[in-house]
Amino acid sequence: MTTTSEVTAEDTAVTGSGAAARGGWRRLYSPIALFAEAGALLVAGFLLAFWYAPTDSSTMGFSQKIFYFHAPIAESALVAYLIAFVAGVLYLRHQDEKYDRLGAAAVRLGLLFSVMVMGTGMIWGKAAWGVWWTWEPRLTTFLIACVLYAAYFVLRWSTDEESRRATYCAVFAIIAFVDVPITFFATRFLPTGLHPAVITSSGSGMAASMLFTFLVCMAGMTLLLVAMLRLELAHAAVLAEVEELKELLDSEPESHLPTVAGSSSLETERGLL
Amino acid sequence: MGRRQFLALLRKDLLIELRTREMLLSMFLFAVLALVVFHYAFDPKGGADLTPLAGGMLWVVFLFAALLGLNRSFVREKDEGCLDGLLLCPADRIIVFLAKAASNFIFLAIIQVLVVPVLMLFYVHGSTAGLSGSLVLVVFLADVGFSVLGTLLATMAAGTRARDLLLPVAFLPLVVPLLIAATSATTDLISGGAGIGALAGRLGFLAGYDAVFLVAAYGTYDYLLSE
Repeated sequence: MTTTSEVTAEDTAVTGSGAAARGGWRRLYSPIALFAEAGALLVAGFLLAFWYAPTDSSTMGFSQKIFYFHAPIAESALVAYLIAFVAGVLYLRHQDEKYDRLGAAAVRLGLLFSVMVMGTGMIWGKAAWGVWWTWEPRLTTFLIACVLYAAYFVLRWSTDEESRRATYCAVFAIIAFVDVPITFFATRFLPTGLHPAVITSSGSGMAASMLFTFLVCMAGMTLLLVAMLRLELAHAAVLAEVEELKELLDSEPESHLPTVAGSSSLETERGLL
Repeated sequence: MGRRQFLALLRKDLLIELRTREMLLSMFLFAVLALVVFHYAFDPKGGADLTPLAGGMLWVVFLFAALLGLNRSFVREKDEGCLDGLLLCPADRIIVFLAKAASNFIFLAIIQVLVVPVLMLFYVHGSTAGLSGSLVLVVFLADVGFSVLGTLLATMAAGTRARDLLLPVAFLPLVVPLLIAATSATTDLISGGAGIGALAGRLGFLAGYDAVFLVAAYGTYDYLLSE
């Protein structure tokens, strides 16, 4: 186990220095730079939200501040699912493993952001409406999206063969992305009960200072998603490489000494782990 | 050409079921038992009028009965190595898909024809006149969606280790929109007063949902059944 993690750390360092060596404006796209940019924007957004943007004059008052984080997180989650959808289409077209890795990383991050959407949404709901949970269309849609994309990983983990797993996951990511907006429309068929969709009003009648703050937060959150995605991808690429090397190690004794192949490959494996 | 292959495949599925009868019988028994359980779950004190809940009960039963059937549909192909035979036969993958979806649709419809009268008997008090036509339309549209999406996912589930565990996990969240539209339409129909005009939005939605996933299945099924 220790050997594997050492290899991973070493390889990451190598890829990291390689990216830095490329230099120029590309340096802005390295994961570390992206994290720094996202962090700067998010901190700026945080300061703007509390000291620059006016407190909402409607019933929501101070609790409206969470909107500057809640909505950008929601938008980033949807961007992640969109990326997974596009990666799925590209995988089916080109059968290239890198699109499978991209899709899986995007779904994982989309799921993470969705859970955060529900968390911030529930906090806001408690502050604005006095209840932790309400069957508000957007909140409900994100709940269903969470369950749906969690199923993506049940599918992923229970399919052994690699190309089949990638194909299934690509198809599922496509179907799920098509389903999410449909779910949103469907939830509108149900009466919302005690709580009318208050959120819609804040979208239209936003003051310029609020809009600016919102856009800064949105840019920051989207960059954070991209940074995390790049990190995930680098990680996945290293893992794939380690798998390949392991297989190489396993197969070598077999080609030289077919008679003791079983025992020796077992030993190599044990030694590696 | 395609039509003959489609009919042959459909005939195969129906014939197998006709000879064994295991799937339809278990689906029907499950549906009736679920309806019985609902009585104890929703009316523990007895004597309540459950008519407003009947639409919801109906769709919960349909949904889980459909899951039972969908799970069987590919497990059977897999167990006997029949799937390899299907893949060898010179038919478009989409024909295989459509035949499977059609047989799943037929099984579901048979169960529904049997279950709806039982539900009416158990839970719906008052007049049910004028209900049938619109209800058939709602059920038909929802069933198309169930079988298209269900067949697509059952194909995937059959290729995984989790098999019959995966299908409900993936199928239920995907059909939530269908369920919302169908349940609210059915509840309106049962509680009376809703004409076909009031349901137009939901019927259109159901039809759109079916169309979208038929297209999605058409675009992706080739890949799912490639090996």
